[in-house]
Amino acid sequence: MATSGFNAFEMAQAQFDKVADILQLEESVRDILRQPMREYHFNIPVHMDDGKVKVFRGFRVQHNDARGPGKGGIRFHPQETVDTVRALAMWMTWKCSVVNIPLGGSKGGVICDPHNLSMREQELLCRGWVRQLAKDVGPLNDVPAPDVMTSPQHMLWMLDEFEAISGAKYPGFITGKPVGMGGSLGRTEATGYGVVYTIREALKLMNVKPEETFASVQGFGNVSQYAIQLYQRLGGKVVCVSSWDQQDQKSYAFRRDVGVDLEELQRITDRFGGVDKEKAQSLGYEVLDGDAWIEQDVDILIPAALENQINKTTVEKVSDRVKIVAEGANGPTTPEADAILEERGVYVIPDFLANAGGVTCSYFEQVQCNMNYFWEKEETLTRLDTKMTSAFHEVHELAKKRDLFMRDAAYVIAVKRVAQACKDRAWA
Amino acid sequence: MTTSNKPIDRLVYELQERTKELNCLYRIEERLNNDAVSFEQKLTDVVNAIPPGWQYPSVCAASLTYLDQNYQTPNYADVDWRLVEPIVVQEKRVGEIVVVYLEEMPQADVGPFLEEEVKLLRTVVDRLAHYILYQNLKTVFHDLQRVRDRITRNSIAEWRIAADMLRKTDPSLFMRILRKLLHELCWKGVEDAELLLRQSSIELKDAEGVAADENRPLKKKLINNYDEYIDTILSLANEYLNDDEILAKMQMWIKQDKSGSLIRSLESASTSLSDISEAIRKFYHMAPEKVELSPSTIKNMRVSLLRRFFTEDLNYISIAKDYVKLTDFYNLIDKMIFLPASHGKLGGKSSGVFLARHILDKSASLLDAEFPIKVPRTWHLTSDCILEFIQYNNLEEILEMKYKDVDEVRLTYPHTVQVFKNSEFPPDIVKGLSVMLDDFGHTPIVVRSSSLLEDQVGAAFSGKYKSLFLANQGTKRERLAELTDAIAEVYASTFCPDAIEYRAERGLLDFHEEMGIMVMEVVGNRIGKYFMPSFAGVAFSNNEFRWSPRIKREDGLVRLVPGLGTRAVDRLGDDYPTLIAPGRPNLRVNVAAEEQARYSPKKADVINLETNRFETVDVRDIIRDYGERYPAIENVVSNYRNGMLRRPSLFDVDFEHDDLFVTFEGLRNETSFVKQIHEILRALQEKFNTPVDIEFASDGKQFYLLQCRPQSFTTRDVGDEIPADTPKERTLFTADRFVSNGRMPEISHIVYVDPDEYGKIEDLKTLDMVGEAVGRLNNMLPRRRFILMGPGRWGSRGDVKLGVNVKYSDINNTAMLVEIARKKGGYVPDLSFGTHFFQDLVEASIRYLPLYPDDEGTFFNDDFFTRTRDAFARLLPEYEEAGVGKAVKVIDVQEETDGMILRVLLNADEDKAIALLAPPDAASDDADLPDAVRHAPVAGANRDREEEWKWRYRMAARLAARVDADKFGIKGMYIFGSSKNAIARNDSDIDLIIHVDGDAEKRRQAELWFDGWSKCLAEINFLRNGAFFEEGILDCYFVTDEDVANRNSYAMKIGAPTNPAKPLQLKRKKSNSDKDATA
Repeated sequence: MATSGFNAFEMAQAQFDKVADILQLEESVRDILRQPMREYHFNIPVHMDDGKVKVFRGFRVQHNDARGPGKGGIRFHPQETVDTVRALAMWMTWKCSVVNIPLGGSKGGVICDPHNLSMREQELLCRGWVRQLAKDVGPLNDVPAPDVMTSPQHMLWMLDEFEAISGAKYPGFITGKPVGMGGSLGRTEATGYGVVYTIREALKLMNVKPEETFASVQGFGNVSQYAIQLYQRLGGKVVCVSSWDQQDQKSYAFRRDVGVDLEELQRITDRFGGVDKEKAQSLGYEVLDGDAWIEQDVDILIPAALENQINKTTVEKVSDRVKIVAEGANGPTTPEADAILEERGVYVIPDFLANAGGVTCSYFEQVQCNMNYFWEKEETLTRLDTKMTSAFHEVHELAKKRDLFMRDAAYVIAVKRVAQACKDRAWA
Repeated sequence: MTTSNKPIDRLVYELQERTKELNCLYRIEERLNNDAVSFEQKLTDVVNAIPPGWQYPSVCAASLTYLDQNYQTPNYADVDWRLVEPIVVQEKRVGEIVVVYLEEMPQADVGPFLEEEVKLLRTVVDRLAHYILYQNLKTVFHDLQRVRDRITRNSIAEWRIAADMLRKTDPSLFMRILRKLLHELCWKGVEDAELLLRQSSIELKDAEGVAADENRPLKKKLINNYDEYIDTILSLANEYLNDDEILAKMQMWIKQDKSGSLIRSLESASTSLSDISEAIRKFYHMAPEKVELSPSTIKNMRVSLLRRFFTEDLNYISIAKDYVKLTDFYNLIDKMIFLPASHGKLGGKSSGVFLARHILDKSASLLDAEFPIKVPRTWHLTSDCILEFIQYNNLEEILEMKYKDVDEVRLTYPHTVQVFKNSEFPPDIVKGLSVMLDDFGHTPIVVRSSSLLEDQVGAAFSGKYKSLFLANQGTKRERLAELTDAIAEVYASTFCPDAIEYRAERGLLDFHEEMGIMVMEVVGNRIGKYFMPSFAGVAFSNNEFRWSPRIKREDGLVRLVPGLGTRAVDRLGDDYPTLIAPGRPNLRVNVAAEEQARYSPKKADVINLETNRFETVDVRDIIRDYGERYPAIENVVSNYRNGMLRRPSLFDVDFEHDDLFVTFEGLRNETSFVKQIHEILRALQEKFNTPVDIEFASDGKQFYLLQCRPQSFTTRDVGDEIPADTPKERTLFTADRFVSNGRMPEISHIVYVDPDEYGKIEDLKTLDMVGEAVGRLNNMLPRRRFILMGPGRWGSRGDVKLGVNVKYSDINNTAMLVEIARKKGGYVPDLSFGTHFFQDLVEASIRYLPLYPDDEGTFFNDDFFTRTRDAFARLLPEYEEAGVGKAVKVIDVQEETDGMILRVLLNADEDKAIALLAPPDAASDDADLPDAVRHAPVAGANRDREEEWKWRYRMAARLAARVDADKFGIKGMYIFGSSKNAIARNDSDIDLIIHVDGDAEKRRQAELWFDGWSKCLAEINFLRNGAFFEEGILDCYFVTDEDVANRNSYAMKIGAPTNPAKPLQLKRKKSNSDKDATA
């Protein structure tokens, strides 16, 4: 571990310290929340295809489980560091808390490059990871999920190993499983829909009817497509969508003043969100430079692709008409741009809150697994709506009451809940 | 049969004739094999069998004379309308057959006789001669047996009797046997025999003297007469050799002698291919594989055949002679089209496949291959058919084409193609092609060139000559027309300007280029309206693109695609073949399902049987429409469901709605295909004694080998020579792990992300900005002329700290991606091997190199990287302000080294790479032009590179000098990009910035003026080098005062700190023009 340079965990701690100051938390609460509660570092020996044994290094960091079993992904990364894992585990604690689901924060990982491993070797790695940790994880104490370079397949291997060790079926041990193997319906829609639930509530607060609004969306991946779908059902009109063109290695924006037709556009889109330029043109879309989505004369901007898209420079192009920025992507707005938007009175629904539909649905998956009864898609989505809506209002109320910007309010509320749980348990 | 386009009844008639002739042959065969009758009766029968085979049997008669006996048909009479053919047995005329027409018949090819009848008679006589020879020999052995029976236990050895018999019956055979006997004696070390061999007369020790005294000199005896010579040999044999041994040897020699005519015809350079093929047929017919020839005879025959059919290349012959059998040639001649007097060969492609196939046939590990190995049915046109074609159409002047200016060649080439396509093929060839088409039926075929030049090691002609796919549908006439059209086009490609230029560069212009043609059945199945293989591809026994350190070079590489293999052969810009390292089949390039789907083949090349066209179609469409009918589809595609890619179950796959991607997962996991192709590559590499690449295709069941050649033929992947001693101050770094072959262009800039400084950056934003800055530099620096060097993993998606966060679009113009692994607290981090965009790198030929500077024996010139000046601040001032400049350095190599460039030499065989500062290839001699930056020797292009940019620069200068600046409101003109940087290629455009005063009407006129010139120059460029620009060659960017002031878009290039646009001298304004502007 390097001693100088960028350290993700230190950054996460600094961020926490800021919120702790706002909340005027006691020293003991800060102590328990600045550091993970437990960490596991262990070796995983794997019999490689060539007959040799190679030892891999695995981690699990359980940051806090005051509010419920830990929840967090497992990353396979060649240069994984425990500090990165710590930072991400802390992040998970806040993430679950902000939408008020009864789960804590964890994260795990293995130092390895899956590109150098056969599927068999990866399977052994997954099973080895579970063998080392079986007594310290489980549906009632710590629930893993897929993350960087791990997939539903890895989750199934892990689940199988866990169940073999436990001698019973525990589908709630892990999330991110395929539908039919313990996965939840509605997961594909969850994040995109979640974004729009919060938009809907924000519009209500502004007394604006969705059917009178226009939106522009960056990206045409899974999140965007479902966000557009639900937004259009509410009556809103999307006039511009940008998408990445793999062949040209640049993005394009597709604009049509009468509004984009989602299904029509989906038909000419590959499954990676790339829209066919020529066909779009023939359907009456204007093909513009990829950055054009941001300068549209609309009420709502939904950045749902990359980080740092609304920054010092691009924020100037944002139309005065824009009332809401709903962050579908992670970190699309830079702090400088944030300040300018605040100044201009734009209502920013922070990524933390706006894209929490995903983690909420993971929670639902676990809930359904634990009771071994699976809801229909509609039921899942209705419950998602309820969760997102109430989470939104709680953050909004706090922001109003304490005169905080939404982003800070979301953070504050998340930390506050966890701190309270710790105190209630007499941990601090 | 000798002319085409005959009315149908004539054809039918001719066919009847052929049937009659065949029947005649069968009858004769039957008679000769009838052991129930006497020899004399047989001859009578033969004579009687002849007339029915002739065109007018009722007036036909025949007579056979053998030795002194005469056999005739009853109606025979001596008349003038006759055909005579002598019977020759062991080079001695022993009789003749005469066929006559008793009445005068209409004139045909030879008098009243057809050419086919002449041939028929010759065949009959040949057959008879063989029979007689066989009978003679049989008599000899029969006699021998009789003698043996009579004189058992007699002192005279059996072989002596046999020899005596032979001497009486067939003296010339006897002499040949005797010579062999003499050789045999020599071989056994009999001194006298050696003398005899050398001098043909010797002093021989007295037989009686042997017993006398060993120490006493032997009595000498002089041999000088012929009989004595023979007797001497015989007695020597008697003395030194065992009786049974001699007898066995003699029998073998007699049999071997039968193969004599074939050997003799092969040895003589003057024998034509048809003679050879006749000899093979005869030999085969007489004794298919039953003759116990000595290994040396067999080898000799194989070598001669290889030389005549394929190539004089000794390497090839020395390998091939152990793998091909005489039978193989017998099978080959059946599918060869050649002219009677041909001396042609089959060409490079044919010889490669022929040998590879036989090597694989003998490879034990492939005997029970799951996909049986085959070669598609193939016909060959020998290389000299093209000459005959040219002569037949009086096109000789085209042969001189290669000595003309390439401009002229280019200008006339389209015409040449048309001339070829409108020419007739000689009737003999048409006849052959017609037979061939009948053999193929209606299956699609591909016409491929098989040039003799392809034998020349190193000359990769593969891409220069054409291969054409034919649907081969419709009537015979249509199919034949399409076929001849295609062959003509392939022939014409011998004279295409690219090929001629390529040859000129390699000094191969004077090589007498003959082009063989291979017509191959297209492997595959009909799938709906398409015809295509289930999968096809290319495979290399050496892997030059390794995506993991666990993959070794000898693990090989397969590029696999659905449909025709054409998409696997070329690097694709817009699609990705599936890559497999057969030695490490489980290590995938793409691990996550999402990546696997993204980098899967999306298109396929197919033959559309309805339009009779070769087409590229969307794989998804084929799967949707014809998934059910696609053979082995479950081995080709995977179903994307719930974040997992799974082999589809045929039971519940929904081809219309499921998310199916081509992954070949089934092929990898459920079949032994990968193992098999690994075996194939290993076997071929071992026997060819060099790394090979192959093309293959499969119909889902069988594995068809389509091509095989040494991998070194693909010039772009040949290793560089690594100089042994290089001064340290000129070396930037060396590497000795995971080096792949590949040619690198000359490098003018280095973008160096300092690992230490990068590690010190504390905030995420700055780390991200490093990636952004690299992306900006990627678009500013000259394409493929800079390298990116940085710590750890480029494009790392996890932790930005571990490698610069870039997307492929941020690095897509680099020539090479270098990852530096510096030791950190005792451990060396893993590198990415470019995995995040590996397939993009492969298809764009961007090289990847990992550096381990802390390894012993490697060198990293820290001094150079710290000492040199940094151009970063000039290029990206805004990033410099943000503190990114500390970590990123841009080194302008030429500026820092007095005009040197950086050369990265790669050699995978030695597993070594070195980056050296070196002078550019050649210095510019034109002082008027900007500092020349020369390009690396990329195959086939360097000769013109100089020309290309000079011409462009000159044209731009002329335009500036001629344009009416006042009329168009032009304030300045600038040139930038490849034409200014002296790296323009034949397909580079000319980038101009035109500074205008902002008057819209003037600008409109200027645009028109430049557009006109643009199209005109494009036309001229086409004539010069063949690269065509539909939209014109000029890329004009109009900028205004405002743009220049604000340094907007292209105006930024004017006076830019690096690589600025160069101003061009405008025509002087009339007001102050005392003298003409100079360009």
